[in-house]
Parts: sequence; C-alpha cells; structure tokens
Amino acid sequence: MVDRIERLTNLLALLLETSRPLSLVEIAGDLVGQYPENERSRRASFERDKAALRDIGVPIETEMVTGGPYSGQTTYRIDRRAYELTDLDLTPDEMRALQVAVAAVRSEPGQHAIWKLGGALDDERPAVSAVIPERPELPAIRTAVASRAPIEFSYRGDDRKLDPWGLLLRGGFWYVIGHDHARNERRTFRVDRFDRAGEGGADTVRVGASASFDRPPSFDPRTAFPADPKQIGHGAEESIDALVSISALRSGAVERELGSDRVVERHDDGSVVVSVPAGNLAAFRSWVLGLLDHAVVESPEDIRQHLIDWLTDVVEPDPETMRR
Amino acid sequence: MSGPRNAEDRLRRLLVMLPWLMEVGEAPLADVARRFNLSEAQVQGDLELVAMCGLPPFVDEMVDVFVDDGMVFVGVPRLFTRPLRLTAPEAFSLLTSARTAMELPGADRAGALGRGLAKLAAVLADAGIDTEPQGDDTAGVVVDLARPELTDELAKAAAAGHELAIGYYSPARDEMTRRTIQPRHVFADAGHWYALADDGRSQQRRTFRIDRIESIEMTGRSFDIESVGPPERFFDDPDVARATIRLAPPAHWVLDQYPVDDVADQGDGWVEVRLPVSSERWLAKLLIRLGPDAVLVDAAGDNPAVATARRMLDRYDERLR
Repeated sequence: MVDRIERLTNLLALLLETSRPLSLVEIAGDLVGQYPENERSRRASFERDKAALRDIGVPIETEMVTGGPYSGQTTYRIDRRAYELTDLDLTPDEMRALQVAVAAVRSEPGQHAIWKLGGALDDERPAVSAVIPERPELPAIRTAVASRAPIEFSYRGDDRKLDPWGLLLRGGFWYVIGHDHARNERRTFRVDRFDRAGEGGADTVRVGASASFDRPPSFDPRTAFPADPKQIGHGAEESIDALVSISALRSGAVERELGSDRVVERHDDGSVVVSVPAGNLAAFRSWVLGLLDHAVVESPEDIRQHLIDWLTDVVEPDPETMRR
Repeated sequence: MSGPRNAEDRLRRLLVMLPWLMEVGEAPLADVARRFNLSEAQVQGDLELVAMCGLPPFVDEMVDVFVDDGMVFVGVPRLFTRPLRLTAPEAFSLLTSARTAMELPGADRAGALGRGLAKLAAVLADAGIDTEPQGDDTAGVVVDLARPELTDELAKAAAAGHELAIGYYSPARDEMTRRTIQPRHVFADAGHWYALADDGRSQQRRTFRIDRIESIEMTGRSFDIESVGPPERFFDDPDVARATIRLAPPAHWVLDQYPVDDVADQGDGWVEVRLPVSSERWLAKLLIRLGPDAVLVDAAGDNPAVATARRMLDRYDERLR
C-alpha cells in the first residue's frame, strides 16, 4: 500500500487529467495497487480520499451514468476551470499590503489564501495587530447578507429564521443583525452562540433563496447596534440623567469615555461630577458598579437608593438566594 | 514551524508550493522552507514523495522536481501549474484581514491595500462568497475596532523605537503609577486595545490596556526595535485561577462578555459557569455588578465581593455626614 499523500496526489492528478468522468472501478484500475481489492474497503478508502480532497477545496464533480453497461454507477471528475484560481493581477505592492494584513490578523486560512495568490509568509511581524475570531459559519452568513437570502439556525435551542442585514465584529465577537421572522422585529445574534448542527457544524446555518428581502436603505451595522450599552432601550423621550461623583484616580478615564461635555463639576482634589444617561437602569448600574468605590451616585434619589440597596444585598445576601 | 502533519495538511501545502516552484524554476531549499513555514526536512520529504507520484503512461513523470545540494529544481511543468481556487473560509478570512487592516492605526485606505481589496471580488465569487453588487459592502460587513485616542501614538512609538513615560491606572493595585516603557507591539483583542511593552518599573515585559493610560510623554530616548507578536491570551493559560459561579437569567450576559471554560444548565433558568479570574479585584467587581443574580460557588479564596461592597457603602455614608 502506498503512502496516503501519494494516493491522494495521484487521485487528484487522475481526475484533473481525465477527459471523461471515471467510475470507482476505473479509478482503482488506473491507480494500480493503491486501493484495497475488497469492494467495501475500496469504497470506504475512496470516500475518505474524496472527502479529504473536498475538504482542502478541490471541486470534485459527480455524475450518475444513465444507460449502457455502467448504468447506475457514479462517476467522478474535476473541472480544471473550477479548480484553478482566477488570476488577479495583483501588483507587488498590493500583494505585499494583503500579506501584511493577514500577518496582522494572524489568520491561518488567510495565510493559505496569500500563498495561493503567490505571496509569501510575512516574516516581519507588524507593530500593530488584531485578534479576529474565526467562525466556520461566517462565509455562509456573509453570502446570505450579500445575496439577500434568509438564514435559518438554532439559537440557544430556539429555531430562528432571519433576514440578515449585516455582520458586525465588535468587542471581539461577530454579530449578525437582521429581521427575525417569528418575532417580526429587528434582532441581533452572536454568531458563536449559534447551536452547532450536522457533522463538523456543516448544517449550523441553512441559507435560503437569494433576493428574498430588501435591506432598509439606511441600515448601518455600526449604529444598528449601540456601542454604549447604557443607551440600549433608551428612547429620547424617557431620557434620565444621573449625577455621579468620580474620584480623582478614575476621573481622567471617565472623562475620556463620556466626553468633556458630560463633566458638570470639577473639584480641586481632581474628582469630578459627571452627568450620565440612566434611562436603562441595569446598564447604568453595571457601569457605576464597574468603577467600584471610585463612583458614587448623587442624584436622583431613587437611583442612589437603588445602588445602596444593591450593595447592601451583596454584603448581606437574601437567604432565598443563598440556598441556591 | 508546524508539528506532526496529516496527509491533508501536507497536500494542501504542496498544492501552493508546487505552482510557485514551477513559476520560479529553482530556489534554495532554505528559502522554500521559510516561505511556506516548514522545516527543510519537511519540504524535501514532501517534494521527494510527490516526485514519485504518477499515472500510466506517465509513471514518475507527473511532477518533475528534485532536490540537490540544498537547491530545489523543477523540470517541465505538467500538472499543478496553477494554484487551487480559494476555499470559502480562506476567501472570507482574506477579506476580513484586509478590512481589519483598514481599521488599524496608520492604515492607508486609498493605497495598495484598498486597491488589492478591490481586486479580490473575483476570487471571492469563485469561492462561493458573494459580494455586494455595487462592489462596496460597507453596509453588509463591518469590522469595528474603535480605539482609544492614545493608541496611534503608542503604535508610532513601537514602530519607531521611542521610549515613553506614561501615567497608568493599575486596576490590581487600584492606584495611578508612573512608568517608563518601551512599547513593542500594539494589538486589539476581545474589544480592547493593548500595548505590549518592556516596563522599566518591573523590569519585565507587560501588557497594558490602553484605555487605562492617562498620559504619554516621549522621554527622548530610543531603543532597538525587534519583531514581537502579541502575547498568548491570558485566559487560555491553565495556571490562571478559576472560579465557579451560578448565574440567573439576567446575568447570562456574562457568557457573552467573558471567556468561560464550562457552562452547565441547572434547569430553572440558572446556569453554572467556570471561568478564569484575572485578579480578586476583577472577581469582586463582577460579583458586585451581578448582585442577586449571581452566587459564588467556588473560588481560590474567600468571596472578595463582600469587603469591596462594604467599602463602597462607606462612601455613600460619607456623603450623608
């Protein structure tokens, strides 16, 4: 028996060279001594090889023979035009720029793409980089966004159908934003929280027919998904601002985060009082508590009391909760 | 350098290596190995193996390649002269990398990167990834790497080898510190920007979160720049302490926000998670933010939230006096 890589290479060469689709019997006949004699193990070895070639991106076409002595047999070939990369005519500086981009993201599939396009491994590490999560579902979702096709997936056990309007990478996670059919409203989902389905996650995202919906013309993923959670669920008409004292140690960072126009008082000791949107109480509370003892809510009184009650509960937990 | 490789990985690499070799005709073995991130022995082994491949009537003639005295030679090319088209993950990754690079400090959007990106549409379609008909899909896919103002200055200093004096808020000590740093690398990870730098104060290489840097001044001193990548992510480190917490439904955002090792459904909507804890202070902050929606089940030490919450309540009391 030959080395597997040798058999894979020969199979690939055979299917590329052949002028007509070949059956497994013909393939095994051409690759003498490389596939087992026994019919069942031969089929199993071939299926494994075919899956391996497809996995690395080789487009193997299958055809069913109708009529003649081989009727009912499946035949295989590779269309060279589908196999070969389209030439892009990248100039050296364009190639180099893409190479640096892939090096900055340290993406393995991206590096393979660079090699295929004729580029090298960039051995100079760039001074700036970004960690971009890779998800197997993303190519299908991106295609659905571009071709206006609905997607179906399961999310925390619920089946969803979504018209995907856009993909957004923010805060280190990929989100898909779109119109949820069952709920009839705009929803945002984290792609890495999709329930995985099928072998190797192949059926996690099912893409429907193209041109099935129109994206609202004004849609922009950047603004569709509020960057500041304190603003989520916060309409203009219910705007409530709270005054919060920030100690000197954190005042600089808070001012940079909120902007100087939010500072309403400055004290000699470096502390400040800022006005902060509190329409979404949970988000506001989370923000204030994140500053620990460097932030104290001054007003309004009901929000201040809410924070005191919350902290008291941490110090002396409700016995109901304790039993959990 | 890669570890043990399976047949698929080896063939995948061969199929990018062969078209390139056929293009150049001959190349030093060492260059081939470096270019394709393999050892010389791996390159030589794989090329010798593929040279033995063949089909009747061209047995042993399919790929005319041999290695001699540290050089790789390629004869008349017959097969594998053109690279394989991109797979969907490769195409997506290339596109995302290019778009990400456009968002990094110092990106030249109208330059070579932008032109290269525009040319990718053809290979993307071949890989089964549609692009927007208008050719511009900024509405469809957005990479948002919003960064603190000081990021660009740090990136410039890292590229130029300029030493900096910074004011840095240290969350573990809860105090402002003055340090002299030599920034080596600037990177974005999981929603924050960081500078990897040699820290004069601890004499160690440290990672600083840029939004905690209060001020930057050049010291006027320079250092030798060296090629440094971002550090391994701390939460992948098994030595980092773990805590186990039960979370009520309103606290499930923790699963979205932080890396977690395990999630176990408790029925009744609560989940139990195990997650890495960067410091006691971080854990205290998390538990205080979650309040009644979280119960600490197990941690390395005592529940650090109680003492911290007491200190916070004291500050509310101060105001009443």
